Amino acid sequence: MTRDTTPFDHRPDPVLGSALREALAADNDAAFVARVLAQAGRPAEAHWDVLAAWARAGIAAAAVAALIAGILVGRGMSAASSTPTASVDELLAAAAGPSGALVTSPQPPDASVLLVSAEER
Amino acid sequence: MEREPQPPGEVARIAPETDSALVARTLAGDRAAFGVLVERYAASVRRVARAVLGDPDDADDAAQDGILAALVKLRHYDPGRPFGPWLMRVVANAATDRRRRRRVRHTEQLDPGLVAGGTTPDVETDRRALGRRLREALAQLPERRRLAVVLFDVEGYSHAEIGRTLGLPEGTVRSEVFHARRALRALLEDWKEEA
Repeated sequence: MTRDTTPFDHRPDPVLGSALREALAADNDAAFVARVLAQAGRPAEAHWDVLAAWARAGIAAAAVAALIAGILVGRGMSAASSTPTASVDELLAAAAGPSGALVTSPQPPDASVLLVSAEER
Repeated sequence: MEREPQPPGEVARIAPETDSALVARTLAGDRAAFGVLVERYAASVRRVARAVLGDPDDADDAAQDGILAALVKLRHYDPGRPFGPWLMRVVANAATDRRRRRRVRHTEQLDPGLVAGGTTPDVETDRRALGRRLREALAQLPERRRLAVVLFDVEGYSHAEIGRTLGLPEGTVRSEVFHARRALRALLEDWKEEA
């Protein structure tokens, strides 16, 4: 074993290194590796960042698809509801006659008009 | 250090794929690549965790925690830097956290040689005794000193890499390694004389 004469010795000490290596050595590296890999592969453990990223991408894609589907459905409903419909004015105009005039007139109705309208019905 | 780090001091193996390539494959969802990385660094991370914790079971739990934490943080790893020191930092932090959390307990296992009643050959008994003595000596060192000497003399990382790993200036790492060595060598000398 060589002795350091300075703290700036940059050469590893092979004898001390070997003794320490043996002192710290653990048995059965293969079993340890198998244990670690088994733990890494457990689905409950979020160790596989890559797979987690894939899951995130999948969720994002599903969200985009749902959004697109929602837009398409919305457009469909909008198209269906945009068919020409009669406005209020048009309906009132169609109701021309004593009762229509009664509704549209800003003046209070005359009693005779009300009676005529009632007789018409 | 510019080299693509393999676990320093480990038996050389045919592993043409670099750590960065394995990390890239892991990030692409290749679990086999992650398995190769774990296999490559298993011994090192276990030793580092044991240097912090002492108890081998605690150390393995911490090493596992560290590796899994590294997997979660893998996107934050800078491929321009060596993977080994980065992993060691994560594992050392996991071990330190575990040491802080665990309740005080004494789980020093009986030496199998002593339990066996002397059936172990003398050389093996001596080897085990030396190992136990070294672990005890390590345990008496401040944590960062312990880690510094293990990362330098056992794992073979440079002072600069250890500095980045432990968040210390390079000069401090040199000093910590020096003091740790001095303490361990003194202990070893005593042990030799006793033997």
